[in-house]
Amino acid sequence: MREITYGEALREAMAEEMRKDEDVILIGEDVGKGYRGCFGVSTGLFEEFGPERIIDTPISENTILGSGIGASLMGMKPIVEIMFADFIGVCFDGILNQVSKINFMSGDQFNLNLVIRLPGGSGGGTGPHHSQCLEGIFQSIPGLNIVLPSNAYEAKGLLKTSISLGKPVLFFEHKKLYKLKSGVPEQEYAIPMGKGRIVQEGDDLTIVAVSYMVEVAKKVSEQLKKENGVNIEVIDPRTVVPLDTELIGNSVEKTSKLVILEEGPLRGGIGAEVAAIASEKFFDFLDYPVKRIASKNTPIPMTPSLEKEVIPTPERVVEEIRDFLGLKKGLLIKD
Amino acid sequence: MEFSKALLLDMLEKMVLIRRFEEKVYQLATRGVVHGSVHLCIGEEAASVGSTMPLEKKDYILPTHRGHGQGLQKGADPNRLLAEIVGRKEGLCKGRVGSMHFFDKDNNNLGAQGILGAQFPIAVGVGLAIKLKKMDSILACYFGDGTSNQGTFFEALNFADMWDLPIIFVCINNLYGMGTHYEDTCNIKVHQKAKLYNMEVKTADGTDVKDVYKKMSGLVKKVRKERRPAMIECYTYRFLGHSAFDNRPYRPKEEVKEWKSKDPIKRLEAELVQQGIKEEEIEKIKDKIEEIIKGSEEFALGADFPIFDPSMET
Repeated sequence: MREITYGEALREAMAEEMRKDEDVILIGEDVGKGYRGCFGVSTGLFEEFGPERIIDTPISENTILGSGIGASLMGMKPIVEIMFADFIGVCFDGILNQVSKINFMSGDQFNLNLVIRLPGGSGGGTGPHHSQCLEGIFQSIPGLNIVLPSNAYEAKGLLKTSISLGKPVLFFEHKKLYKLKSGVPEQEYAIPMGKGRIVQEGDDLTIVAVSYMVEVAKKVSEQLKKENGVNIEVIDPRTVVPLDTELIGNSVEKTSKLVILEEGPLRGGIGAEVAAIASEKFFDFLDYPVKRIASKNTPIPMTPSLEKEVIPTPERVVEEIRDFLGLKKGLLIKD
Repeated sequence: MEFSKALLLDMLEKMVLIRRFEEKVYQLATRGVVHGSVHLCIGEEAASVGSTMPLEKKDYILPTHRGHGQGLQKGADPNRLLAEIVGRKEGLCKGRVGSMHFFDKDNNNLGAQGILGAQFPIAVGVGLAIKLKKMDSILACYFGDGTSNQGTFFEALNFADMWDLPIIFVCINNLYGMGTHYEDTCNIKVHQKAKLYNMEVKTADGTDVKDVYKKMSGLVKKVRKERRPAMIECYTYRFLGHSAFDNRPYRPKEEVKEWKSKDPIKRLEAELVQQGIKEEEIEKIKDKIEEIIKGSEEFALGADFPIFDPSMET
C-alpha cells in the first residue's frame, strides 16, 4: 500500500468530498490563497476549488465558526478550520450553545453537517496558547462528536465520515502527526464513528491511547516488551464521543489492567471519563486500580526543560507503567 | 409609497394577531401554565410586522429571544408555536425548548436565539450559503439595541461587507437591555455602527407600521438586487417587562405614558377610522383573531407533553 502523510491524507479527504459534493467548503484563517493552511494541509485546494470554496477569513474566530453554523443550517457541509485548537476559546459560545444544541433544540428539523478541524498538541515549544489538547473539556457538552485521528489512514477515513455525518464533529488533529506517513489505500473507504481499533494485541495490560499518544503507546510497548516482557494491548478508540466501551471492556477482560494515555491535562480528561466507565462497567475484570497518564495540571510551558516534564513523554510513560506494575528496569513481569 | 386600505387592514390583522398571541402567552405564564421564561413583544408589533411583511416566503429570518412576533409574521402556525411555548410534543420543536429557542424550518426561520449576539456569526454563514448557492433569497437578522454591543456584531458587519452578503440587520430598539437604557451602554447609535461598514442604513419610527414597512421594503428591494448588506433601526417600546415577571421599576412613569400614547395598533386603527373604515370592520378583524387564539390555546393545552427518548442522548 502507498504511504502518505497525515496532512496529505486530510487534504485528500477534503478534496475527494469536495469533488463529489458542491456543498462541501473549507472556511478558515489562511486556508486558501496565501498560506494554504497554517500547517500546509490545504495545499493545492485553492488552486483546484477557487476562492468560493476555499475561503480565507478575517481574524474573527466567532464568525469563522458562525459561518460554518449558518452555512450548515442552509444545508451545506462546511469544514471550519480553527488555526490552532487553542483559539477555540474565542468562539466557545458557538460550540457550547449553538452547534452542540441545534439538532436537539430544533426538534430534529436540522441535522447539521459541520466539521470543526482543530490542530492541537504540544512538543514544539509553542507554549501555553498554541499547544493544548482540549478534547477533555468538550466531552461534557452533549451533542458533539469528538474525533481524534491517530495516523494518516485514520485521518482520511474519519474526516470523510465526519463531513456528511449529519451531526457536528470536533476533529482534533495533532501537529506532531502531520508529517508522519502511513499506509492509505487509493480506493474509497470510510471509518464509522464509535468503532475503536486494536492497534496491537497483548494480554498483560491495556493502554487506551488517543491521537499522538497512540504513537507513544506503540513505542512504550516495544520497550516494555523488550525490557520487562510485558505484552501490552494498545487500543485506539478513534472517537471519544461516541466511545467504543465494548472494545475497551473486552480488552480489560483479557488483561485485567487498564491505563489511559492522553496528552490533555490529567484532571477531568479522557482518562477520567474512561476510568469512571471502567469502574462502573468492568469492575469485576480489574485486578489493579485504573491508571491515568496525562499532562500535568499546568499550562504547557515553552521551555523544553519544563515542557518535557509536563507532557507525557515516552520516558515518563515507561516509568509510570513500571511503577504501576511494580516492576524495575530489567525485571520481567512473569518473574 | 401608497398604502391601500386592504394593505392597511392586513397589517392591522397581523399586528392584532401578535398582540393577542402575546397576551395569551402572558396570561398562561401568570397562571403557571408556561414552564419557562417568556419575552413578549407587546408594543413592538409595528416593528415586527413592518419589517417582516416585505420579506418573501423564500427569504430567511433569525429572530431574537423576543421573537414570537417575527416568527408568526414569517408564517409560523400559532397553534404549533403556542404548543412549543407550553412544552407540548405538537410544538414546532417537539415541545423541547419553548419560547426562546424555536426553529421553524418550513418558514425559513433558522432559530430564535437565547444567547444575545450569537445570531450575528450565524447570519454570516446563512448569507454566505445564499451567495454560494446563487439563491435569490435574502436574510433578515434581528437583534436588539443592547446586543449591538457584542463583538460579534462588528465581526458580522465586517464579513457581510467584505463578502457582499445579502443580509438586512434589523435592530428592534426598545430602549432597554433588560433594565439598562441603551444610552447608558454606548455613546454611538446602533445604525451609526453599521455605517462604518459601508452599508445602506435606515432608521424608522417603530410605532408606525407604515414607516417601518416603507423603509424595509426599500431595503429588501435593494439588497435583493445589489447583493449587499443593509441595516434598519426601528425605535419602539416594549410595554411589558423584560420577561413576564418584571415589574419595570427602572422606567419613568412619564416615559411609559408617552410611549403608550403611541401604541402602534391604536395608531393604525385611528388612521383607518379617519380614512372611513367602519369600526365594525375593525371589530370583525379582532373577532377573527380572537377565534384563532382561542383555537391555539385549545390546541396547545390539549396536546401531550413529550416523553424522554434515550436517542436524545448524544
